[in-house]
Amino acid sequence: MTTQLGVLYQELLKAFTSQPSDLQKSGSLLAQLKIGLIDAGLLIPQEGVNPQDLSIAREILEIGAFWSIRTKDIPSFDRYFSQLQTFYNDYSSVLPPSPREFPIRGLNLIRLLTQNRIAEFHTTLESLPLPADSFASNPYISHPINLERWLMEGSYSKVWNAREEAPAEEYKFFVDSLMGTIRNEIAGCEEAAYNSLPIKDAATLLFFRSQPELLSYAQQRGWTVDLSENTITFTQKGEEKVEVPKEKLISANLLYARELEMIV
Amino acid sequence: MADVEMKPIDESKKEEKTEEKTDSKEEPKKQPPSVPEEIKTNVALIERAVSTFEPRFTLRVLRTLAALRKRLNDKVLAEAVELVYPPNSQTKSILLSWIPKFEQTMDVDASTTSPAPTPRPKSDPVPEVEIYLRLLVLHHLLTNSSTLPQALKLAGETIEKMQNLNRRTMDPIAAKIWFAVDRTYELAGNLADARPLLLAAQRTASLRQDDETQASLINRLLRNYLFYNLYDQADKLVSKTSFPISAANAQHARYHYYLGRIKAVQLNYSAAHTNLQQAIRRSPPATTAPGFYQAVHKLSVVVELLMGDIPERSLFRHPVLEKALTAYFEIVQAVRGGSLSQFQATLSKHAAQFEADRTYSLIVRLRQNVIKTGIRRLSLSYSRISLRDICVKLHLDSEEDAEYIVGKAIRDGVIEGRILHEQGWLECGAQKSGYGFEVSDVFMRRISYCLELHNQSVKAMRYPLNAHRKELDAAEAARQREAEYLRQVGEDGGGFDDEPGIGEGY
Repeated sequence: MTTQLGVLYQELLKAFTSQPSDLQKSGSLLAQLKIGLIDAGLLIPQEGVNPQDLSIAREILEIGAFWSIRTKDIPSFDRYFSQLQTFYNDYSSVLPPSPREFPIRGLNLIRLLTQNRIAEFHTTLESLPLPADSFASNPYISHPINLERWLMEGSYSKVWNAREEAPAEEYKFFVDSLMGTIRNEIAGCEEAAYNSLPIKDAATLLFFRSQPELLSYAQQRGWTVDLSENTITFTQKGEEKVEVPKEKLISANLLYARELEMIV
Repeated sequence: MADVEMKPIDESKKEEKTEEKTDSKEEPKKQPPSVPEEIKTNVALIERAVSTFEPRFTLRVLRTLAALRKRLNDKVLAEAVELVYPPNSQTKSILLSWIPKFEQTMDVDASTTSPAPTPRPKSDPVPEVEIYLRLLVLHHLLTNSSTLPQALKLAGETIEKMQNLNRRTMDPIAAKIWFAVDRTYELAGNLADARPLLLAAQRTASLRQDDETQASLINRLLRNYLFYNLYDQADKLVSKTSFPISAANAQHARYHYYLGRIKAVQLNYSAAHTNLQQAIRRSPPATTAPGFYQAVHKLSVVVELLMGDIPERSLFRHPVLEKALTAYFEIVQAVRGGSLSQFQATLSKHAAQFEADRTYSLIVRLRQNVIKTGIRRLSLSYSRISLRDICVKLHLDSEEDAEYIVGKAIRDGVIEGRILHEQGWLECGAQKSGYGFEVSDVFMRRISYCLELHNQSVKAMRYPLNAHRKELDAAEAARQREAEYLRQVGEDGGGFDDEPGIGEGY
């Protein structure tokens, strides 16, 4: 590792760890560092590099991942995470484990969750380098796991309550988008499950603190609000018209006929 | 085709297998030929296969591999090599050097036990034989952990040799060699190192259209990826390769099992279920490969539960499965009863086993199914029930949760009903009538299953050679009769009015 890279790295550490961290400066430093890493053959590690250098490269990328979250740049987080995977998976025997590994893996899980990529969420979960029954003891991993479970079974209030229990500062960034997701989920459930609701209860169910917030949301979803009686009436979708899936039935029947023809 | 030779998938299963086999296998059979002799006959078969380009003989040899493997030891291997090769063959001494600690005593044994019973061969047999013997030696080295490093070296050398020779007649043996090589790496604990080797070999095999090896290698690679939980890579491998149709049933069964696992992790349960069904159908009889049979069924039970179905009770009474599936049976009971507490208790009780079977995370996903079943049962038995009672009966944490959960169940179509918030109860609606268009979907599924089964069995049918001769004769006779009849008709004057084509008017 060249001295120039080392200097930049020290600067990045200083900029990022200072309170509050200097995001703009970190960003420009990261860009320079990445070019430096490519020159040194460390961004995508080649054969025969010094493990010491590798762990510094890993740290730079980790800071990059956190930086992306703080600047709310999800695609950039995605890139940093893919680059880090090489370090976490293929060099796990060479490098000492990083203290930031699990926070970043956890963040990635939450990202998948908020984007509703459940299948990928589970695939990623399976490929974690931990036995499945010890997930619960790792706070960074158990948090997204619990969120997913509650979301799937419908315990939305638990998700809501858990938003303050995030194990790391960066997790809170996802809370907002997550809340948006569950609010829409709840609204969908309410439309199906209730005829009407008192405004006050609807606000609690949807976790709105004030009435105007609720009202604008109700307007957005097209609910009828009766202010004199203080109730919200959900538009009934009515009995869905049952339509005969003609084409499907015809093609199925033709298929049976053809197969029968072949058998007989 | 080698239909029924299936090796256990990993060490633990092998143990299960031997355990269960001890009682059945030890029954007295008619005295089999001694191992060296058997190897010698096999060698003759391989030579015949090579000279006639008929892989059938090689396959027959390989089918005995599983049984033969258990009876190998240093002595018989050395004897076999002595029998097969001429006295001063170079290959012989190379082969012998791989057989552990036998160099000194061999001469004594050879002279006492087998005083030149058969005429020694004059020249070296075909290279296929050497590879076959190497395969045997490799399997033998694998049985003992102290000879593992040696096995690794032998594996590397054998692969190199095999690839240099590049003979099509060797392909079936090569497929087995790859299995042994992969197993060597696995036992040595560095399965990841084998990956580039396997990938390169897979490329070569597919370029040479070597179906046997290709099938074996794809399975090895999938196993390799899944061992490290690299589901993404495994999925990509599956989408980028095509599994050869002509591969042996055993390879197909494995392939479907791996596919089933990948799909189950990706939440694609119905596809996973189809694959596992195929794997079960393709797998050899339960008593031949109990390890594989149990592993597939474990996964298939979980997948069925995740799909919302309850596996059949009779499955858990199957003699091979009964003991292995006890824990799964308890899970099924918990899901069926819709009792969260029982589910949690069972899960923690058998956590270690599920973790070993690598089904733990799949089973954890069942939690929501348990809740759904519970709500469904309640909605069927009550026309109106308070949220408080739901909460108590399903062991939910709070009434608030219960309200959200029930709401979600209504939206997802699990139950029909309305929540009356002011009164705090759920009013259950009438059940949908059982006849709609979704019925045709269910029928479609069943019918296509039957058709698939039919087509698969037609494909699997084998016909004896020349059996059609008889039918041809019969057809010939019929044709003659017809000709006779036509002639008679002609002699009668052809005076049929309604006989078109031969009327007088023409």
